[in-house]
Amino acid sequence: MSPAYLDWAATAPASPEALEAYLRAAREYPANPSSPHGDGISAHRALEDARTRLADTLGCRRGRLYFSSGGTESDSLVLLSLLRRTVPGSLVISSIEHPAVFEQAAVLERLGWRVRRVDPGPDGRVDPGKLADACSGDTVLAAVMAVNNETGAIQPLEGIRRALDEAAGNGRRVRLHTDAVQAFGKIPFQPEALGADSAALSAHKIRGPRGVGALYLRTPLESLTAGGGQEGGIRPGTENLPGILAFERAAGIATADLAGNFARARDLTDRLLACLGDIPDARPVPECRTLGDDRYSPWILSLSLPGLPGQTAVRVLSDSGFAVATGSACSSSRRKRRVLEAMGLPEELAFSAIRVSVGPTTTAAEIDAFAQTLRTAYLRYRT
Amino acid sequence: METLYLIKPGELELKTGNRREFESRLRRDIERRLEGRARVDIRPGRFFLRVPEGLEDEAERVLSRVPGLVGYARALTCGKSMEEIGERALQIARDGRAEGHDTFKIEARRADKGFPLDSYGLARVLGRLILENVPGLAVDVRKPGFTVFVEIRERVYVHGAIRRGQKGLPAGSAGKGLLLLSGGIDSPVAGYLMAKRGLFLEAVHFNAYPYTSREAWEKVRDLARVVARYAGNMVLHTLSFTEIQTEIKRVAPEECATLFLRAAMVQAAHLLAGEIRANSLVTGESLGQVASQTAENIRFAQARTNLPVFRPLIGTDKEDTMKIAREIGTYEISILPYEDCCVLFSPEHPILRSRMDRETEAYDRIGLEPLIAEAVRTRETLAIPCED
Repeated sequence: MSPAYLDWAATAPASPEALEAYLRAAREYPANPSSPHGDGISAHRALEDARTRLADTLGCRRGRLYFSSGGTESDSLVLLSLLRRTVPGSLVISSIEHPAVFEQAAVLERLGWRVRRVDPGPDGRVDPGKLADACSGDTVLAAVMAVNNETGAIQPLEGIRRALDEAAGNGRRVRLHTDAVQAFGKIPFQPEALGADSAALSAHKIRGPRGVGALYLRTPLESLTAGGGQEGGIRPGTENLPGILAFERAAGIATADLAGNFARARDLTDRLLACLGDIPDARPVPECRTLGDDRYSPWILSLSLPGLPGQTAVRVLSDSGFAVATGSACSSSRRKRRVLEAMGLPEELAFSAIRVSVGPTTTAAEIDAFAQTLRTAYLRYRT
Repeated sequence: METLYLIKPGELELKTGNRREFESRLRRDIERRLEGRARVDIRPGRFFLRVPEGLEDEAERVLSRVPGLVGYARALTCGKSMEEIGERALQIARDGRAEGHDTFKIEARRADKGFPLDSYGLARVLGRLILENVPGLAVDVRKPGFTVFVEIRERVYVHGAIRRGQKGLPAGSAGKGLLLLSGGIDSPVAGYLMAKRGLFLEAVHFNAYPYTSREAWEKVRDLARVVARYAGNMVLHTLSFTEIQTEIKRVAPEECATLFLRAAMVQAAHLLAGEIRANSLVTGESLGQVASQTAENIRFAQARTNLPVFRPLIGTDKEDTMKIAREIGTYEISILPYEDCCVLFSPEHPILRSRMDRETEAYDRIGLEPLIAEAVRTRETLAIPCED
């Protein structure tokens, strides 16, 4: 692994505790949780205990939590369930959704559903009123992520819930789905308190293993897939018990000292933000982001280096031992930065944006070294 | 048991002057590609390749790819008794029938005039034999499903369909060319075509890391590997053009960026060609395809070398180039998404018709020579062996 890993929002390296939990579960519960014999029953019990504990950290009832293979599957379970309706309706999504929602909505669109996409403001946040205005009589679902994966912008879900309810008046309730993979275990996140009807969670964003996640559902949905009836028939298939127990362990650690972790992350991103001031022309994305800005997740900071393509920056930084991310492609099309462009960011800035994301083991020294390298690379390669 | 292949060499009959050299080049090339495990015998107008058992697939791959060969066929050989000849003709006919053909003809050639039957008589006898012994076959001399070839020489050779070779001239008979290789569709095809005209190839690639990715370079390397299947062993020289590109962007008029980059590439290629003793440059240019490929702009870049610049695709439509790329196996690699020029360096409105005097002055003013010399000096060299 790179000496300084600053791409936690892509995958947070699994913690030793989570890996240990995985291995132990694989050894101790070798049987299928659906089997009626003793080994199956103990596996089933371990599964349900994990569900209970995870539900506690989410502040929801255990019966509302379903395990899945990760964030993308959780999102698609919700969106695809709409196809069980006899008549296509419409859905409203933010235009900055992760592809798990954005592309899945496009599939629904091809199948006859109407999809309205609502742009955020320049600050990367979706205006609740604007979103509610986009709903019409046949709108059954709105999907807005909890935290944007590129900018870290925390979306006003509570406000969105209220606006949706007000707009609907006494009519039908518009269900609110949120992709919360960048929120759960990183910032305070309780789907019921926010008024979300469903939420997608992922283990590997919070130091659990890849290939496991969960879906919170206020009320059960009709799934498009069928099988052995596991997870209430909503996500059939033999449960990934080691993954689930490791997920639960990672979630327990992440939420045990959420406030402390949050504060440390804020110190780190503030430190990097302050360093940006010393690099001429470098700026945060969006530019209005300030120190300690509570509109943004402290775990994610995007920044732009005008004149240096994001992909080039990623390569140079990688050669110096720093792993960061970009969605940009140095290609003739120049249109791979959907999220930043939806915010109205000028092409030049979007093209030059990189995303830095920190984790619980990131240190101030790493941030300092990173800022130093960034400055050098920028001066050397900007054109 | 060893297998015998009859080989029809390419345009050798046209080249009476240096025929022997051409023949031995082709022979050596085939033997080297088979790592000395098979031998080529040169007979007047025909080569024979003797291949030990188990090596047939590899031998056929080599014969289908080596330049300077019109066609080849797996041949059966025997003495001059009609019984032996008939047996082998039947074998070929049964193979043809098994492949689903229902018509055939015999093509007989009697180089040994001492053989009692003339070619017509031989064809008649063998034709009757086949009709009597292989059910479901009829003779069609105009459009036969397959042909049984019989040649009476010092021995008798019987073979079926002649499979197509690459044609052209043996590798190296035209000396060595330096191919300007990018990750696109055209330049690998240009290299392939010129290899078929007898050029040994070395390739030069101009890399702009970190503005382009490692994958973009790997793509070029993979393209070179495919071209080497036909061209034989190659060398890939990678020149870092990062400094040169940034300098051009910094100093040159924006619309001239691509034009000047092309000129710098030709200039560097010229220097390199001198070092590796290449007698020519090879590019994938096609007239008018992009802004840098207008007559005026080709002239501008051309002026940086006095070597001949071979452009086998100059009059070829993109579609036809793509067809060749698919046939030789470079297309799938060329269309991978890794760009080998960062959009940062591509002007929005590139100059279409450069004026020699004006642009030469602007180009010379940048003073790229030291950077170009440095790029050539610090190049990375990779051997690309000819393999599958």
